Amino acid sequence: MPYVTLISPPPHHDIYSIEDLAQLIYDLKSVNPRADVSVKLVSEVGVGTIAAGVAKAKADLVLISGHDGGTGASPLTSIKHTGLPWELGLAETQQALIFNGLRDRIRVQVDGQLRTGRDLAIAALMGAEEFGFGTSVLVTLGCIMMRKCHLNTCPVGVATQDPVLRGRFTGAAEYVVRFFRFLAQDLREHMATLGFRTLDEMVGRVDLLEVQPAVEHWKAKGLDFSAMLLPPDNGRNGPLRRVRPQEHEVAKALDYEIMALARSALDRKEPVRIELPIRNVHRSVGAALSGEITRRFGAKGLPDDTIHLTFLGSAGQSFGAFLAPGVTMHVHGDANDYLGKGMSGGRVVVTPPEGATFLPHKNVIVGNVVLYGATGGEAYFHGTAGERFAVRNSGGKAVVEGVGDHGCEYMTSGVVVVLGPTGNNFAAGMSGGLAYVYDEGELFDTRCNLDMVDVESVWQEEDIKRLHAMIESHFRYTGSQRAAQILENWESRLPLFVKIMPIEYRKSLERMRMEEEINPESVSATEEVYRG
Amino acid sequence: MVKPTGFMEYVREDPAHRPVTERVGDYREIEELLPEEGIYRQAARCMDCGIPFCHAYGCPVKNRIPDWNDMVYRKNWRKALDLLHATCNLPEITGRVCPAPCETACTLAINLPAVTIRHLELQIVEHGWREEWIRPEPAGFSTGKRVAVVGSGPAGLPAAQQLSRNGHEVVVFEKSDRIGGLLRYGIPDFKLEKWVIDRRLDQMRAEGVVFETGVNAGEDVSAAYLLRSFDAIVLAAGATAARDLPIPGRDLKGVHFAMEFLTQQNRRNAGDAIPEGEAISAAGKHVVVIGGGDTGSDCIGTSRRQGAASITQIELLPKPPEDRLPTNPWPTWPVILRTSSSQEEGCERLWSVQTKELLGEEGEVRKLSCVKLDWSDPDSAGRRTFREIPGSAFELRANLVLLAMGFVHVEHGSLVRDLGVATDSRGNLVADRNCMTNIPGVFGAGDAVTGASLVVRAIDLGRLAAAGADRYLVGR
Repeated sequence: MPYVTLISPPPHHDIYSIEDLAQLIYDLKSVNPRADVSVKLVSEVGVGTIAAGVAKAKADLVLISGHDGGTGASPLTSIKHTGLPWELGLAETQQALIFNGLRDRIRVQVDGQLRTGRDLAIAALMGAEEFGFGTSVLVTLGCIMMRKCHLNTCPVGVATQDPVLRGRFTGAAEYVVRFFRFLAQDLREHMATLGFRTLDEMVGRVDLLEVQPAVEHWKAKGLDFSAMLLPPDNGRNGPLRRVRPQEHEVAKALDYEIMALARSALDRKEPVRIELPIRNVHRSVGAALSGEITRRFGAKGLPDDTIHLTFLGSAGQSFGAFLAPGVTMHVHGDANDYLGKGMSGGRVVVTPPEGATFLPHKNVIVGNVVLYGATGGEAYFHGTAGERFAVRNSGGKAVVEGVGDHGCEYMTSGVVVVLGPTGNNFAAGMSGGLAYVYDEGELFDTRCNLDMVDVESVWQEEDIKRLHAMIESHFRYTGSQRAAQILENWESRLPLFVKIMPIEYRKSLERMRMEEEINPESVSATEEVYRG
Repeated sequence: MVKPTGFMEYVREDPAHRPVTERVGDYREIEELLPEEGIYRQAARCMDCGIPFCHAYGCPVKNRIPDWNDMVYRKNWRKALDLLHATCNLPEITGRVCPAPCETACTLAINLPAVTIRHLELQIVEHGWREEWIRPEPAGFSTGKRVAVVGSGPAGLPAAQQLSRNGHEVVVFEKSDRIGGLLRYGIPDFKLEKWVIDRRLDQMRAEGVVFETGVNAGEDVSAAYLLRSFDAIVLAAGATAARDLPIPGRDLKGVHFAMEFLTQQNRRNAGDAIPEGEAISAAGKHVVVIGGGDTGSDCIGTSRRQGAASITQIELLPKPPEDRLPTNPWPTWPVILRTSSSQEEGCERLWSVQTKELLGEEGEVRKLSCVKLDWSDPDSAGRRTFREIPGSAFELRANLVLLAMGFVHVEHGSLVRDLGVATDSRGNLVADRNCMTNIPGVFGAGDAVTGASLVVRAIDLGRLAAAGADRYLVGR
């Protein structure tokens, strides 16, 4: 979204525990089993424990990131005061993984201002198998470390969208090739000195590292490196490097059953309707299917409603994660956390089971962190949702009959309609998109975080049409009585709706409208940003 | 931070030079200040780089350039002045004569004209003088230690000021009749008017620095006396021993070292009478300047103002390229063809020329016998060699020959000898990390240590020597 502030670094509200992380890794592995999943950890005290957790959560790689690096957009406070040297984190990680018998199944990567073959040799001896480079490679391409990557004013054209400035870029791919060639040569020389033929032999051989006692510095004096340089235990706890892949077990998922049933749709785009029972042990249902659809048909997926899935029961975590266009998933029952995580299209409908005796709009029907980071698609929930509904939503449309705390937090695009009460801190950090809330109690403004949004009544034709259409759809898909009542008494209920409009988003829309009127070539984006 | 898009919106504006026809008629400074309005735009071109090469790589005194650019842009002149004085004692001098290695290291200079850093420096300090913000800053306490500073040039003055501000009693010995050393008698008035120095000297006197002119340390006061009566000595005598041209005809009349010639003109401008027999004048003469550096340019400008009939400058090295070579990338000092304001005023410039002999009549120089050179490409170590081009010999008419071929080292006179200060193979003083020589309490500063170099490097070394001497005296 042009002109809308990007909140960086993004808060990961889908990961509050190692179990959340394990679920995310499972989601990612489901949608694309061919991809390796890497988890980046900051080098700090206790990183070994976290790395062991990451290995158990079945990541394929773990990256230990040292404190020396940082992008040119990082705040000075982060550059100066966060993290520890990669050496400390790497040593701890390697030891924790070995002592817990986990080192054989995960590759360890390291980064943080690696520049020379000597850095790589030390990192390998301390247990790293792969190495990351940022600054040094950018410098070979002409980066002069302006620390302006976020301002669009990079004068050497490395990190900017401005066509004039990009014209000043003088880098070439050959420079990068040459840099890595020199680096490899340098590493080879160190390996030859140490008597190694392959990098694999080197990994984890801490016993070959010595502390240079000649360093005369008042801060370096008296430091004890023995814990860092603890020699490997001769393989008693298994190998010092990764020798086998993780067992992800994604192929046992319900999706493979669905894909077998939906063969005609996948092969010939023929509409199919499938009905299946579902239990909460079925995680990430729809992810593997969506991965397959995207591999076959690209991002545009299938025509709407080609695969229509009806489930009876309680859906497990990440139901409809990364859902692709063309799939409709309807649950008669309820659904767990992370529903519709990262969905890019399709439709998810959750309604209470037939014969339910409770009032839907007074009962929770979907869990926490629903529609996290969705980029498209639509969702209708005949009931209320848990906390953090539609956090970081950037394109999905949803209708729900009530939400918990932190609804629409960090939302950047899309539309959310809430036909009932909200929790506290609604719209915190919301920089884009729209929300409409049915504010019967007229207390919404006490629950909304007003730092970045305005709350206004719904009076513009455009808004009224959009809202009406979405509630109509909600009624059509869920048969919600609440929706029906609102639609029947539209004239009297409309004034109870409030519209939540991010301030930046409004400016951005106005600006884009103006630009369409004037010649778009005459105003550069950079100028606009600074005129504010 | 300075305006982020300033460099994309404004172009570099250089301060105007007075028109050639006007300026060659007098010895007043040729550069004019930019109007204040334009200055804010120039400051806005600073990009406040994450890695400011101007400050960290270019500027020898590590001036806090991005910070004071920002302050100028915000019209906070007072703060800008304080930031400037925090690292440089003589910004009104460097603002006029510095070749500005900061500007060639400026990040903008990679693909655009650099920020006008030198001129902004001058504007800041002149604003400070105008507002009378620059006042004496006496230490307000005394350590009871006495320091002798030998030499009052661009290294000696900052050393003296810094030491005095640290509470030491400072006496500056200057062999010449006026304070200022090279600033006073080396740099022509059209680049640096001398009231600029006097203004700063008034401040230093008020801070308690004692100036002794006409005292040749080592001769008029002995080395032993200095060692006995002072707790520390800072040798900032410059590298005044000029490189000579030992060829036939060197002793002919009309062949002079550049510095003799330039000094005389500065004296005349100051109102001194030069005795008839000693006077060197270019009026109506064909002048040949040997040496293509800054001193050579000063000789050209001075000769032009004296009314020379013709001026030719010859240089041993080949003509430099118009633009940087790939082997000379940013942010290194660019070895490129430059045209000084004096050269702009009119002279002929010849490169790859060696003088073989000076020919004269009746003991006076008449002609130079020269030969053209063919320079080899640099070898793996970057060295280039030359050979004479057969049959390329030619003669140049000359009534006045000025030798501006650089300086070799500090003068190895009685002071250096009697103090017993060690010199290196080039003849420069040897100084340690604290700028102390092999004699405890004797410090070296400026060109005396580095060999002839920039004013700004001399200021830096003067400050470093003062800091070293202060540590030595106070025992930190």
